[in-house]
Amino acid sequence: MPKPSPRARALLDLLTWAIVGLSLLPIAWMLLSSLRNYSEIANGAQLGAGLDLRWQNYRELWIRVDFFGFFRNSLIICGLSTLLSTACAVCAAYALARLRFRGGNAFSLAITVTQVIPGMLFFLPLYMLYRQLGERYGLVLLDSMQGLVFLYVALFTPASIWIMRGFFVAIPRELEDAAIIDGCSRLGAFVRIVLPLSAPGIIATATFVFLLAWDELFFAWVLTSSAEVQTIPVGIRLFVSQFQHRYDLMMAAGAVSTLPVLLVFFAGQRYFVKGLAAGAVKG
Amino acid sequence: MPRAAAPRLPRRRPDPFPYLLLLPALLLMAAVNLTPILQGFYMSLLKLNQFTLAQYLDAPFVGLDNYRRVLFDGASPLRAGLGLALRNTLLYTAVVSLSAIAIGLGMALLMNRDFPGRNLARTLLLLPWIVPSYVVGSLWGFMWQRDVGIINTVLVDWLHLLDERPFWLIGANSFWAIVIPTVWRTWPVLMLIFLAALQSIPEDPYEAATLDGVSRWQQFLHITLPLLKPVILIQLMFQIIDNIYSYNLVSMMFGNGAGYPGEWADLLMPLLTRQSFSYWLFGQGAAVSFVMMALMLVFVGLWLRAFRQQMSDTPHA
Repeated sequence: MPKPSPRARALLDLLTWAIVGLSLLPIAWMLLSSLRNYSEIANGAQLGAGLDLRWQNYRELWIRVDFFGFFRNSLIICGLSTLLSTACAVCAAYALARLRFRGGNAFSLAITVTQVIPGMLFFLPLYMLYRQLGERYGLVLLDSMQGLVFLYVALFTPASIWIMRGFFVAIPRELEDAAIIDGCSRLGAFVRIVLPLSAPGIIATATFVFLLAWDELFFAWVLTSSAEVQTIPVGIRLFVSQFQHRYDLMMAAGAVSTLPVLLVFFAGQRYFVKGLAAGAVKG
Repeated sequence: MPRAAAPRLPRRRPDPFPYLLLLPALLLMAAVNLTPILQGFYMSLLKLNQFTLAQYLDAPFVGLDNYRRVLFDGASPLRAGLGLALRNTLLYTAVVSLSAIAIGLGMALLMNRDFPGRNLARTLLLLPWIVPSYVVGSLWGFMWQRDVGIINTVLVDWLHLLDERPFWLIGANSFWAIVIPTVWRTWPVLMLIFLAALQSIPEDPYEAATLDGVSRWQQFLHITLPLLKPVILIQLMFQIIDNIYSYNLVSMMFGNGAGYPGEWADLLMPLLTRQSFSYWLFGQGAAVSFVMMALMLVFVGLWLRAFRQQMSDTPHA
């Protein structure tokens, strides 16, 4: 490409950084508001003199709302969903990427269709199914952690299979063949050779599932009703109806619930962004 | 017989190993996708309300009556808001998808240069995408407030762009109140995907074009855009699917979601859940879900038919 003049380049650099800064402003506003005094916000005092920053709101979240109960539930539910979904995806993706078998194409097609028709449309039948299983067979899925975990694993596994498959395809087949010739079984080659090599893919997939699970409000809202199992999004939503104008508390809750996904994202960032860039993850 | 030395022959009997590997995923998908599809279709043929819900298998069979009601019967509460919600959802999907892709592409071009702090800028830009969508809803719900919201403060008090403080969460403005945060949260991830695609384009065609005196804009139109077309088409399809089922943002921005977000911000999924659970019209709700599913399958089918050729030669497939 033709090289622009230094002046034009400097202007473009400035423009780029200005846009980056502008797009971060709402997040900065959330953090700032979470530290501000309730009455200041309620009076509409925006950034006048006497900005009174404090950590009070975060303490109040703990005492008044038991927000950290929701936090714990989210961690347990999303953590378990991530582990189980990634495990299922690793197995299925390996089969799809490496082994030839009857029905493989049909399975790939089924995965594509689940991507096209989101599970959200099935909330009524799922709700009824969970109810029936509880009433008739005593299988507690409605309003329970296991019910949500089961659902999340099922919902996020097809997309995870697709990401994982891309990583498996990229590993040279010769490595496995060599191991098999040396006397390894198929399973042995999978566990000893392929799995360690695909660690970046596993991290990317797990990061992806965790981000999705952490963001899930819809089913958590429909399928749970007691505080012992409700997740953060449900907690914040209940909280909106109870403390309608406590924006200070709401912003603190927002900041606290962004923290875990931020940590997970930064931990898996290198691999995750690569997976994203490879076009495997949908935006 | 020297079996060990013989080359491996394909086995006649199917090897159980791949099926064992697929089993967990297969069972899950059968339980959470296939069963509810079949059950949901059956439910859509039943008269399911608060009276027949408990023993729903014994509910009266009404055939296609639920479909007739949600599509044509003005007396059905679910039908009442459906037209508006459909209009809003289609507009919202079109505006969000197209502008997020346009901004994402523009920024990808801007970021595809060498500039100080490039990697840092990319990481920072992804932050809005990391913030959970329900947090985005409550954050922007606060920012859009008429009296205490920062947006009116900036527009009215600081920049004097407007004389009066507008209501953002009531009336036609509420449409933009849900569009803008969605675009804000979506374009960075599209930028990243387009950036990766841009970096896979070789330099040669640009060098040749520059030698021939072709302008940068013409180079973009005739080299960059055609090469990015497959990626853009795939992302556009995913955007359309995602935005049609948008739920979190609206339900968080407008209070506890049991409320009505207004005639300009009510989308299909919030309407469907709200009405299903407030009137217990599960049969009609299932019918709406099925209509949506059918439309989506037709849309994606047509899309793939029209663009399959172009989408399959993705530069980094």
